[in-house]
Amino acid sequence: MSVKPPMSHAKTGGPLGAAAPKAPLKTARPSSAVPRDVALLVFLRDRGILVLWAVLLIGFAIWNAPYFATANNAMLILSASSVTAVYAAAVAIGLFSGAFDLSLPGVGALASCVTAVALQNFGFAIPLALALGVVIGALCGFVNGWISLKGLNPLIVTIGTLSVTSGLAAKVVGGYSIYGLFQLEFMGSARYFGIPSHAFIVAALYIGLTVFLTQTRAGIRMRAVGGNAEAVRRAGLNERQYRMMGFVFSGTLAGIAGMMTMALVGEASPTASPGVIFTALTAVALAGVSLQGGRGSLPRVLIGALILGTIADGLTIAGVEPYWATVSTGALMIGALLLDKYLTEAISTRLVRISTLNVHDGVK
Amino acid sequence: MAHPDSPPALALGGIAKHYGYVKALDGVDFHVNAGEIVSLLGDNGAGKSTLLKVMSGAHAPSEGTIRIDGKLVTKYTPSVASDLGVEMVYQDLALVDTLDISTNLQLGREPLRPFPLSLFGFVDFGKMHKATRTQLDKLGVRTAPPERAVEMLSGGQRQVTAISRAAVRLFERGGGVILMDEPTAALGYEQTLMVEALIKRMAAAGFAIVLVTHNLPLCLNVSDRIVVLNRGRKVADVMRAQADHNKIVSWITGADRAEEAVA
Ligand SMILES: Nc1ncnc2c1ncn2[C@@H]1O[C@H](COP(=O)(O)OP(=O)(O)OP(=O)(O)O)[C@@H](O)[C@H]1O
Ligand SMILES: [Mg+2]
Repeated sequence: MSVKPPMSHAKTGGPLGAAAPKAPLKTARPSSAVPRDVALLVFLRDRGILVLWAVLLIGFAIWNAPYFATANNAMLILSASSVTAVYAAAVAIGLFSGAFDLSLPGVGALASCVTAVALQNFGFAIPLALALGVVIGALCGFVNGWISLKGLNPLIVTIGTLSVTSGLAAKVVGGYSIYGLFQLEFMGSARYFGIPSHAFIVAALYIGLTVFLTQTRAGIRMRAVGGNAEAVRRAGLNERQYRMMGFVFSGTLAGIAGMMTMALVGEASPTASPGVIFTALTAVALAGVSLQGGRGSLPRVLIGALILGTIADGLTIAGVEPYWATVSTGALMIGALLLDKYLTEAISTRLVRISTLNVHDGVK
Repeated sequence: MAHPDSPPALALGGIAKHYGYVKALDGVDFHVNAGEIVSLLGDNGAGKSTLLKVMSGAHAPSEGTIRIDGKLVTKYTPSVASDLGVEMVYQDLALVDTLDISTNLQLGREPLRPFPLSLFGFVDFGKMHKATRTQLDKLGVRTAPPERAVEMLSGGQRQVTAISRAAVRLFERGGGVILMDEPTAALGYEQTLMVEALIKRMAAAGFAIVLVTHNLPLCLNVSDRIVVLNRGRKVADVMRAQADHNKIVSWITGADRAEEAVA
C-alpha cells in the first residue's frame, strides 16, 4: 500500500489536525462537564450505602443508649460481620467477572473439613494445613470455571458443585463434625489489641483485593470481562483466562471463609449451610453490585456486610425478636435495589437530556 | 491519497449471500482505497449491514472473493480481519460501560508502573491517561476527559470513543480499514458534526473508511464515493461529484441505476 503509516506523520507535526476542519469539534465542549444533578445522583448511587450505615449506627446508638455505642459492641459487630464479609467478597468477585457462584458454602465446608482432617488425623503443621484449605478452595473454583467455560450457565453448574463439594466434605470427615480444633483459636476467637482476629483477616483480604481489582492489569481486565466480555475479546485478550480467574478467586475466598468459621467455633462441619450464600448475596446487593456483572466496588461490599452485622446486633440489644432482623435485612435489600434502579434510570435519562439539549444549541 | 496503481485496501468481488431462501446480496463488487471514504446507501433491508458483515468477517459470503491490499483471503473471520487491519466499529460491543474512556482505549496494552511494581502488573494510570490524550489529540477528538466512565457519556461521546478505539488500534499497524454501521443513528446535530469531523480526519490520516448510513446530508458531506444497494444488488457506484440528493434518492428507491457511471 502506498499510504504512509499515520504514525509517521506524528513526527512531522500532526497531519490530522492540519487536514480536517477543527471548528465543529470545539462545539463539543459544553457537554464534557457532568452537570450537578447527575453528579449528585451518581454520588448517591455510589456512596449511598455509607450514608445508610451512618444512619443505622446513629439510630441504634440513640435507641439502645448507652449499650450500643461502645468499643466492645463495635468489636462484636466486626466479629459477627467477618465471615459474611469474606463470603460476600467471594460472591462479589465472582459477579465482577461475570460468574454467579452458588457452590461457595460447599467449597467452604470442603476446605475446612480437609484442613481439619489434615490437622487431627495426619498431624499436618498448622500453616501447611491452612495452605491446603486455600488450595482446595482454589481448586474448586478452577473446576467450576472449567465446567462453566464449556458454555454452561455458572448458576446451574455451581448448584451441581454445591452438592458435590458438600458430599465430598461429609465423605472426608466420615459424616460427623470434627471437634476440638483449639489450635486454631489464634485465627478464631482470639483478639489482638482488643480487635478480633477475624477483623485483621478481613482487612488484609479487602485491602489486597481492592488494590488488585483497581490497580493491576489482571484485576482491571477481570472487571472488564464481567462488564463486556466481547470488548475484552476484541481487545485481543484471552477473555476466558480472566473469567477463570474470577472463579478461582471466588473459590479461594470461600475456602478461607470456611476455615475462619471452623477456627471460630473450633469445629469442622461438613454441612454446607445455604443460608451463608444468601446473607452474602444480601450484603452484595446492598452494595449495589450488579448481578449482570462488571459493576460494583469491593469496599462497598464490606460496608454491606457491616450493615447486616449492625442490624442484627442493634436489634438484639434492643431486645427485638431475632426474626425481625431477617425481615428488616430482606426489606432493606429490596429497598436498596429499588433505589439503585431508580438512581440508574434517573442518571441515564438526564444524560439523554444533555445530548438532546445540544441539538437545540446547535440549531440556534 | 492512494497511489493510482496500488490495490484497494479492501475489495470484494461478486459477493452473494443467502439466508436460507432469502438472497440478501447478489453479485456485489465493492472496493475502498486507503484514504477514501465510501458511503454505502440503500433502503431498509437492501443488504447494507449484510455487506458490512461480510467485510468484517462476521458473515461468510455464499459466493465471491475478498481481497485485502490486493491479496486474496480465503478463510476470512473477524479475528483474521482484525489481524489484517479491518476494524468494525460497534458502539455497544466494543466498550466496557463501567470502565473509563482511557482504560477502554488502552485495554490489552495498559502501560505498567516502573519496576518492581511492574512485576505485579500495577497499571500506571497517569501514563495511560496521557497516552489516551495524545492519541485523541492526534485524532482531533475533544470529548469527555479520559478518566470519565463510558456509562457517563452521551450517545455522541460514546460513538466517538468507539470510533477512536478502532482508530487507535489501527494507528499501531500504520493503516487499515474502518467499517461503520449507522455511526450517527440516534445522535443530535452537534454530535453528528463531531463524528463527521472525526471520520474526515481518519481518512486524511490514510485509513480506508466504509460508512453505512441513512443520513444523506452526512453522506454528501463526507463521502469521496457513494455506493447504493437496492434489493441486494449494487445499483450505483459513483464519485461524490457525480451524485446529488435527487439522484441518490432515485437510486435508493430503485427508480434508476448508475453503475455505468462507475469511475
Ligand atoms: N440473520 C438473518 N437471517 C435471515 N435473513 C436476514 C438476516 N439478516 C438479514 N436478513 C435479511 O437480509 C436482507 C438484508 O438485510 P440487511 O440487514 O443487510 O439490510 P440493511 O440494508 O442493513 O437494512 P437497514 O437499513 O434496515 O439496516 C433483509 O431482507 C433481511 O431481512
Ligand atoms: Mg442495517
